[in-house]
Amino acid sequence: MATINGCEIPEDLLYYIERNQLTWVKVEGDRITIGATDPAQARAGRILYLRVKPVGTVRERGKPIATVESGKWAGPIIAPVGGTVVEVNTEAEKDPTLLNSDPYGRGWVVRLIPTAPAQLAELLSGEAALARFREVIAREQIRCDRYHP
Amino acid sequence: MNDTALPPASPDPTGKKILMIMTTGPEEPDKTYAPFFTAALMAAMEIDTTMFFMMHSPELLKKGAAEQIPLKKGGTLKHFVDMAIENGVHLLACAESMRDLCNLGVEDLIAEVKVAGAPTMADLALDADAVLSF
Repeated sequence: MATINGCEIPEDLLYYIERNQLTWVKVEGDRITIGATDPAQARAGRILYLRVKPVGTVRERGKPIATVESGKWAGPIIAPVGGTVVEVNTEAEKDPTLLNSDPYGRGWVVRLIPTAPAQLAELLSGEAALARFREVIAREQIRCDRYHP
Repeated sequence: MNDTALPPASPDPTGKKILMIMTTGPEEPDKTYAPFFTAALMAAMEIDTTMFFMMHSPELLKKGAAEQIPLKKGGTLKHFVDMAIENGVHLLACAESMRDLCNLGVEDLIAEVKVAGAPTMADLALDADAVLSF
C-alpha cells in the first residue's frame, strides 16, 4: 500500500485517472469491481448521495455509471471500460459515507462484466499510476482524512 | 473471460429534459450557486439540462465575473459554473436581457454560453419534462 499525502493507494488495483476521475478497478474473474479512490473521496468531502445505473445497464467506456454528490461536488463516476452492470452496491446507495470511510472495501460502487476486456490493459497500474496520483494530489492539494460518521 | 450470461439490458434511465430559468444576478450572490450545482448534478444523471439566463442573470456569465462573486460557504461562484460546464449543462443567455438590461454582447460572455431569444425559451419550456425557476 502506497501512501501519498495521507491518501492510500493499494498496489493490486488498476486505476482510471482521466479528466476529474480518480477511480479504482479490481478484476475478479470475468467481472470487475469499480469504486472511488481515497483521494477521490477526500477531494469530494462527505458524500451525501450515490445513485448507480441499474443491473442490466450496458455502458460504453467513458459514459457515466453512477452519480455522486457531496456538499461541494456533483458529478459522474465514468465507466473506465465498457460493460454491463451486474451488481450495484445498494448498501452504499443507502449510506454513501461508506465511500468516504472504506473506499476500497464496503464503499465499492458497481460491478460490471466488461464488453471488451482488452480495454483493461489501458488502465494504469504500479508506478505509472502512482506517478499520476502524485501529480494530481499535488496539483489539487488533496489531503486524505477518512470520514468516520 | 468465461461465458457468464449477461442480464437483459434495461432501458437507460435518460431521455429526460430539464429547463432551469435563472433570473438572479450578482446582486444576490447567495441565490446564485445552488442552481449551478443542481444543474451539474442533473446533467451528471444524464438528464439533458439547460440553464436559461434572463433579467440580470447573464451578468453571472460575463468573463471574469464568477471569480468575483464570493460565497458565504467559501470560494467563489466560478467553482460551480465550472462544475456545470464540466458536466455538460447547456448555458443559454437571453438576447433581450443582455441588450436591454445588462449591456452585454456575446463577446463579453464566457465561451461556453450561447445566446438565444424568448422564442427559444418557450420551445425549451414546452419540450422539457420539468421547468425550474430561480
